[in-house]
Amino acid sequence: MQSYLYIALFAPLVSSLFAAIFAQQKKIQLVGIITSILIALSFFASVELLVYLMQTNKIVHATLFDWIVIGDMNVKFGFTVDHVTAVMMVVVTLVSALVHIYSNYYMEHDKSFNRFFSYLSAFVFSMLVLVMSDSFLGLFIGWEGVGVCSWLLIGFWYYKKDETRDVNPSISPSWAANEAFIMNRIADLGLLIGIFLIFWNVGSLKYNDFFAAIPNLNHGLLVAIGIALFIGAMGKSAQFPLHTWLADAMEGPTPVSALIHAATMVTAGVYLVIRANPLYSQIPGVGYFIAVLGTFVAIFAASMALVNRDLKRVIAYSTLSQLGYMFAAAGLGAYWVALFHLAAHAFFKALLFLSAGNVMHAMHDELDMFKMGGLKKYMAKTYLMMGIASLALSGIYPFAGFFSKDTILEVAFNEETYGIWFVLWFTAGLTAFYSFRQVFLVFHGDERFHELGIHPHEAKPYALWAMAPLAVLAVIAGFFKEEFVEFITKFLPPYEMSEHTEHLVWFFIIVTMGIALTGIFIAYKKYANGLRRDPKVENSFLYKLLFNQYYIPIFYEKAFAKPYKELSDIAWKEIDQEIVDATVDGIAKAVEVTGDVSRRAQNGNLSTYLKWMAFGLIFISLIALISVVVK
Amino acid sequence: MSHILSILIFFPLVAGLLGFLINQKSIRVYGIAVATIEFLLSLWLWFGFDGSNPGMQFQEFIPLIPSFGINYYLGVDGISLFIIVMTTLMTLLGIVGLSVKKDLKNMIITLLFLEVAMVGVFVALDVILFYIFWEFSLVPMLYIIGAWGGDKRLYAAIKFFIYTFAGSLVMLVGILFMGYLYYKTTGHWSFALTDWYKMVLPLDLQKWLFIAFFLGFAIKVPMFPFHTWLPYAHGQAPTVGSVILAAVLLKMGTYGFVRFSLPLFPDAAVAYITPIAIIALIMIIYTAMVAYAQKDMKQVIAYSSISHMGVIILGTFAMNVEGIGGSIFLMLSHGIVSGALFMLVGVIYDRRHTKLMSEFGGLASVMPTYATIFGIMTMASVGLPLTIGFIGEYLSLAGFFKVSPILTVIGGTSIIVGAVYMLSVLKKSFFGPITKEENKHLSDLDLKEKFALIPLVAIVIWLGIYPKPILEPINTSTKALVAFMHKKAQTKEAKATIHVSKALKEIKK
Repeated sequence: MQSYLYIALFAPLVSSLFAAIFAQQKKIQLVGIITSILIALSFFASVELLVYLMQTNKIVHATLFDWIVIGDMNVKFGFTVDHVTAVMMVVVTLVSALVHIYSNYYMEHDKSFNRFFSYLSAFVFSMLVLVMSDSFLGLFIGWEGVGVCSWLLIGFWYYKKDETRDVNPSISPSWAANEAFIMNRIADLGLLIGIFLIFWNVGSLKYNDFFAAIPNLNHGLLVAIGIALFIGAMGKSAQFPLHTWLADAMEGPTPVSALIHAATMVTAGVYLVIRANPLYSQIPGVGYFIAVLGTFVAIFAASMALVNRDLKRVIAYSTLSQLGYMFAAAGLGAYWVALFHLAAHAFFKALLFLSAGNVMHAMHDELDMFKMGGLKKYMAKTYLMMGIASLALSGIYPFAGFFSKDTILEVAFNEETYGIWFVLWFTAGLTAFYSFRQVFLVFHGDERFHELGIHPHEAKPYALWAMAPLAVLAVIAGFFKEEFVEFITKFLPPYEMSEHTEHLVWFFIIVTMGIALTGIFIAYKKYANGLRRDPKVENSFLYKLLFNQYYIPIFYEKAFAKPYKELSDIAWKEIDQEIVDATVDGIAKAVEVTGDVSRRAQNGNLSTYLKWMAFGLIFISLIALISVVVK
Repeated sequence: MSHILSILIFFPLVAGLLGFLINQKSIRVYGIAVATIEFLLSLWLWFGFDGSNPGMQFQEFIPLIPSFGINYYLGVDGISLFIIVMTTLMTLLGIVGLSVKKDLKNMIITLLFLEVAMVGVFVALDVILFYIFWEFSLVPMLYIIGAWGGDKRLYAAIKFFIYTFAGSLVMLVGILFMGYLYYKTTGHWSFALTDWYKMVLPLDLQKWLFIAFFLGFAIKVPMFPFHTWLPYAHGQAPTVGSVILAAVLLKMGTYGFVRFSLPLFPDAAVAYITPIAIIALIMIIYTAMVAYAQKDMKQVIAYSSISHMGVIILGTFAMNVEGIGGSIFLMLSHGIVSGALFMLVGVIYDRRHTKLMSEFGGLASVMPTYATIFGIMTMASVGLPLTIGFIGEYLSLAGFFKVSPILTVIGGTSIIVGAVYMLSVLKKSFFGPITKEENKHLSDLDLKEKFALIPLVAIVIWLGIYPKPILEPINTSTKALVAFMHKKAQTKEAKATIHVSKALKEIKK
């Protein structure tokens, strides 16, 4: 089985290196095809591993070679495929393979076609390292690796110039890329501190060694580790207050948004919490905090999605919101539920983004939904796909999102955290509203794009075929819930609902479906029959607050970025040059001046010498006299 | 093989002298050939080195002034081995990538003399010999900055010389006093480092001597607030001067800490951990901010060096194998990465005769290979895992975490502030549209530049993925060093702080 592990892991690396050879050349179609095949190969190997695990229940290990061995630090490149990893691998490689195929269409006219595939495959490799490593430092390799790939891909169109926030809220691709990288780095420091804590207290960074040592560690230390690791998770999964980069990351090409900023990378934080479940189940206080923060992010992000006009940003906020759901579940101890929602979300959210990609192509990269409308006539298949994805996202039966989201709500109720339940329930309504606001604005109503001189067209068939498996999964994934639970609880702790909750299952279904359908209905009423803008609403304080993301990006710029820049200038010009260096030069000057003054003593003039000699004699005699007198 | 160290010192010396006889036209080939042979010799040294032996190897001992115990005494261990290899490598690549036209012959001869001094510093085990090489290294660098530098080259060269020289003089006083102490306790003179190691000094004496050595090393590193000579030196020095300065000369200071301060004065070193750590934190954060404020690309790299040296200092004073070993590794990786970055700045300077980032913008579109290598080096500089930059930074911080978690959290911001200034260089110079007409037709890297840079890229990735060949000898020698310090330490505080790794404890049992 190890060979499958290596194939799954290294096929994307080979793919990336292969594409990198041609990175600076003009488009070569073969690069797109071969990379897609290699990623698909990785997918089949992952499926093989999953099947093996289902049949035998044996965890696969593989160790390559020593990495960092010094003192007591002993880190090898070790990989392990257990139940959680297998699920993650299948999800990651499936979405990756489909996005690779789709990208052949989406990037077909891009001059850096080959470079794009090199980065994209490098991302898949990093993501697999992240989920397959058997130690925290191995995870950290993948963690930073996906960060760099994300940076490269957000800034893929690096040559675009900076705009003001009014023109483009993300300023420019290279700006957004740097923001994402730096913000993630802040969180990475937390993860690194967690790693140090584990190392010095356990002596090993392997998951299993750490989990085995947990009973011997004191509670305060566990809390510290739990917080440190979660800070890392907050960066990757864009949790408040480190969330602003995700919406700006939409500057990247849309397949990137689908793969990295929706389906896979941003769920790495959730993965970390699920992975460290033996730790978090020991520190329910931290878990509760995670759940509360996740719940807050769920409604906070959903609220911003309500008013945004940017096709991709709405989906980005919804991703943020759904990540909040996952954290809520994981924080409350329902790890498998979080993983289930993670997988289901990966399918329908990737589908949603790729549909948005089709729309963007049809609209010549116009993103303002207020300038679209009526597209269902021109792109019925995309309409269907986006509809499915939105239904799944809204949690409508029998789509995948229904099963996963409903379970999260049940968990929140079961834990008697009714506040969390209520907020998540209400957010479900908001989710349904903004999702269908988007669908109706884009596909229904009057055709507002004619003013722009655009002639929309449907995407190429193979692009639609690449999306089809995601559409199917968005519909049927939920039906495999029983099988999923049976499989995953061999590894993750099971989560049992109390009888009280079990009794209320039908009540939950009705209430949740009710609010979701209400949301869709309101969206239909408001947007399905053309766009009627209300300046009074758009000028209201609340609308502006939401539209400007609660002014948080501006606040960050004013409170952190600008002062840092100003302080840096002061450090350089005022302190380094005016104080530190001036002191050094001052000392040198003082030496020079004293030297210059004392030089006059030796001007070669005999009478001056005699004068000084006389002074000296008198001076010394005086001192001698005084010392005699004093004695 | 037994005289390999002498050969390493004297071969470039002789070759440099013979260089005066070589025709101006063939001097470049000659220089490359000599530097290549020297590099191969150092690889041979590595090949013959026994990684499992923690002690000094290839020792050579010739009495010079026996009555004062001054000898020609050389040796190499896992700590110095790779710094020597890096020195010969960076000298070679510096000569390969050389773009100066003026007085090329003198430049190459100067570089060969500089190589003599640098190798000498790292192999000398007699302290007087060490001091001679240490001071001798100033002369060629003074010449390089003063003769081939920019507009303010004389000011920069003299500042560099006098500043570091002043520090070294204080160190010399310390050296002489230490020799005198040895004479008083044993009755005969010796300046052999291995003899000095055996001396156990009372804490107050240790503290004075520690400070004397500290000043010499700190100015060289350079540590805040003794760092202001560095931006001038880098600002004025030609590319090759900056490469050698950043890659090797700065490492002499941190090497001095590991070779002298820690084993000679372990108690004083432990007693001074907190103030030194605070200076290191200032170096990390403050100079990173200053780097961010720069408008000149080269100055960013210059200040970033100080910031990274701060991490090295933290690792060195972690007093455990992870930290000290990590700091030695970081010395190497910083040498490679900063050397490469200075070369890269040199590339654009040769084309545009400016280093101001406001003059660039959009370079990635016209010079893709250049931008790619710059990007890789940037990632190595910010410590991305699987590049050479990560391992040293990670281990240094991990090591210091044992001493003080809180200070490490502050020091760990280096991964954030480092990303801020490096990414801003990329953004200002390489991304965005091409705004300047002059930049539209810049040529990408030529063959000479590729020859100089691609080996460095290969090393950055190779040692990032598989650092074992280097980490193993470092591990062996550092373990012995820490165990030695632990044994020698007298104060309770020092005994508790100096952390002997578990693996070694078990062996002892």
